[in-house]
Amino acid sequence: MGIRRRAMLGVIALASISLPALSAHAEDVTITVWSLDRDIQPAPNLINDFNKLNTGIKVEYRQIQFDDVVSEAMRAYSTGQAPDIIAVDNPEHALFSSRGAFLDLTGMIAASSVVKPENYFPGPLASVTWEGKLYGIPKATNTIALYYNKDMFKAKGLDPEKPPQTWDELVDAARKLTDPAANVYGLAFSAKANEEGTFQFLPWAQMAGGGYDNINAEGVVKALDIWKTIIDEKLASPDSLTRGQWDSTGTFNSGNAAMAISGPWELDRMMQEAKFDWGVALLPVPEIGAERSSAMGDFNWAVFSSTKHPEEAFKVLEYFASQDERMFKDFGQLPARSDIAIPPTGEPLKDAALQVFLEQLKYAKPRGPHPQWPKISKAIQDAIQAALTGQMSSKDALDQAAEKIKGVLG
Amino acid sequence: MKKILSSVKDGTGFDIGLVLLPLVFLFVMSGLPLVYNVVMSFQEVDMFSLGSFARPFVGFKNYVDLFAQPETRPILFNTALFVSASIAGQFVIGFGLALFFWMNFPGASWLRGLFLVSWVMPGLVVGAIWNWILSGDFGVLNFFLRELGIIDGNIFWRSDPHYSLWAVVIANIWLGTSFNMILLSVGLSGIPKDLYEAAELDGATMLQRFFTITLPMMRSTIGAIVALGLIFTLQQFDLFAGITSGGPNNSSNVTQYWAWDLSFRQYDFAKGATISVLMIIFVMIASVVYVRSTRHEVRG
Repeated sequence: MGIRRRAMLGVIALASISLPALSAHAEDVTITVWSLDRDIQPAPNLINDFNKLNTGIKVEYRQIQFDDVVSEAMRAYSTGQAPDIIAVDNPEHALFSSRGAFLDLTGMIAASSVVKPENYFPGPLASVTWEGKLYGIPKATNTIALYYNKDMFKAKGLDPEKPPQTWDELVDAARKLTDPAANVYGLAFSAKANEEGTFQFLPWAQMAGGGYDNINAEGVVKALDIWKTIIDEKLASPDSLTRGQWDSTGTFNSGNAAMAISGPWELDRMMQEAKFDWGVALLPVPEIGAERSSAMGDFNWAVFSSTKHPEEAFKVLEYFASQDERMFKDFGQLPARSDIAIPPTGEPLKDAALQVFLEQLKYAKPRGPHPQWPKISKAIQDAIQAALTGQMSSKDALDQAAEKIKGVLG
Repeated sequence: MKKILSSVKDGTGFDIGLVLLPLVFLFVMSGLPLVYNVVMSFQEVDMFSLGSFARPFVGFKNYVDLFAQPETRPILFNTALFVSASIAGQFVIGFGLALFFWMNFPGASWLRGLFLVSWVMPGLVVGAIWNWILSGDFGVLNFFLRELGIIDGNIFWRSDPHYSLWAVVIANIWLGTSFNMILLSVGLSGIPKDLYEAAELDGATMLQRFFTITLPMMRSTIGAIVALGLIFTLQQFDLFAGITSGGPNNSSNVTQYWAWDLSFRQYDFAKGATISVLMIIFVMIASVVYVRSTRHEVRG
């Protein structure tokens, strides 16, 4: 009994010490943030800096894995455990917005002196928009363009300062650059049966006047036919159908492909691996003067509608947005804003490439936005692969995809 | 109440308790999810109703929709092909190796242990390694086949719809062979040696001994291996994720990968559950066949 009483006293003593301590902290509002950023990426660092400011808002961070973002988020939301703020991949944004899971920030953004919609690239901004309202703030952005090996261009008698401008020029150049004896393909890209395949094909469809809601337009059929030509003539490795962008571009870095379609996330690796002179060009268009388009990647910030502290959560987002100028310098990511100049890195190859990517970003279009995006995307992937493997004609494959997408769009 | 208490004391109640405990455990841990899965296949489920049990009931709509999809039949066919080819390959090679090591030459048991390396490797690692081996341009397998003069041009194992399923089958045979070999080795060592001595005295040839003694004595082991092989092969997911992702154009897609894709990539949980139910039915039929085939077994 003696031990028990002493233990009880101990508990009471402890409680009396910690209670005032607790109440002192209770003034702080705690905001939880989930994102996939690792310790060298923006979220955890920005949160550390924010917490040092002692604004009365304490931010807690949790890192989640890329593959788990959506499933974790929806499980948390449906069981009432959702964080205040989350970073989601831009094609997933509409799914949450349309179901009321994300908070409508339109009013707060209109009143904000930090977050101004007009500063953002149109693509990222469209991805956080649902039915005319803003449900988030773009976190960063990226897109794809054409990398090409200038040394190989010279060796095959092509002008290294004149990369292909149109689809026909691209195929022509690829034909000239392909050299099976030396294990060199003209082009490397990804037609993989996942979101990467859609990410790479959709810009082609959009440049040709199509889109996910008009996937069997005449121009899209032509685009897919060109992809088929590239695969059939072995201007690109047949493994493009099962290889992601990172692995495909790897063959460019090792000198086994003369051109590659990929994004700015490759730049650092390329600077280290590629032992040749290279450049970046805008994605080729159907014909000179045609409308440009490009894919748009990366994540958006959003506030869950279940949050108890919307004002404070938005303040945290405002802080994040106010630090956008550091995005590239400190973390190597492109801010989704057109009003921020990217400072030179001192590496001419990289700086030149960045300018092209920034130009390309102006034409970047979001995938969707549509709450059923994964199903739409799957229909597009299936069509690409059915055509490229010769199981269906491009027209039939895209007609089938259009049929499936029509079912999804209702 | 007294009766129950006394039954615990005299032992029978304790026995019942011992049986009940695992039964309850089994029901909670695997019975309930199974039932939940079946229920889900008759409901309309999306991400936001995933947390609640009360969802609109749609009857057989999920099943009807599923069979209306053009990819369903090819995927079911792929699954059957994948399972039978994998089991056959794993079993034949595993049996061959087991018989080989049964000869008990010096270092046999040590070598046999080495074969287990494949069994302890995580599936995703195996998938990544085979992904490189099977790569079309720079893959080791193509290099060997070319050097041996079997092929002229590279085979794009992962990306050619004629080969993609076989690419996964090859990797899966490699992965499962050692497990078959070990179980079959155990079965072989359980056969009394005097049977062979007697047969040899009667003048039975090696083939005759194999077909009249080894195979019949191994019946229950073989049955167990085929049944387990069926379950393991139907569970095989990592290799698909690692090598082909079910592509190109579903040519290497199988039900287990498709169920994952539908549930966690397209967020169509009801369809994912529907496919799982079909797989459960299939495994149940197979296990009934297995139980019947080994029921008349006489155990010595």
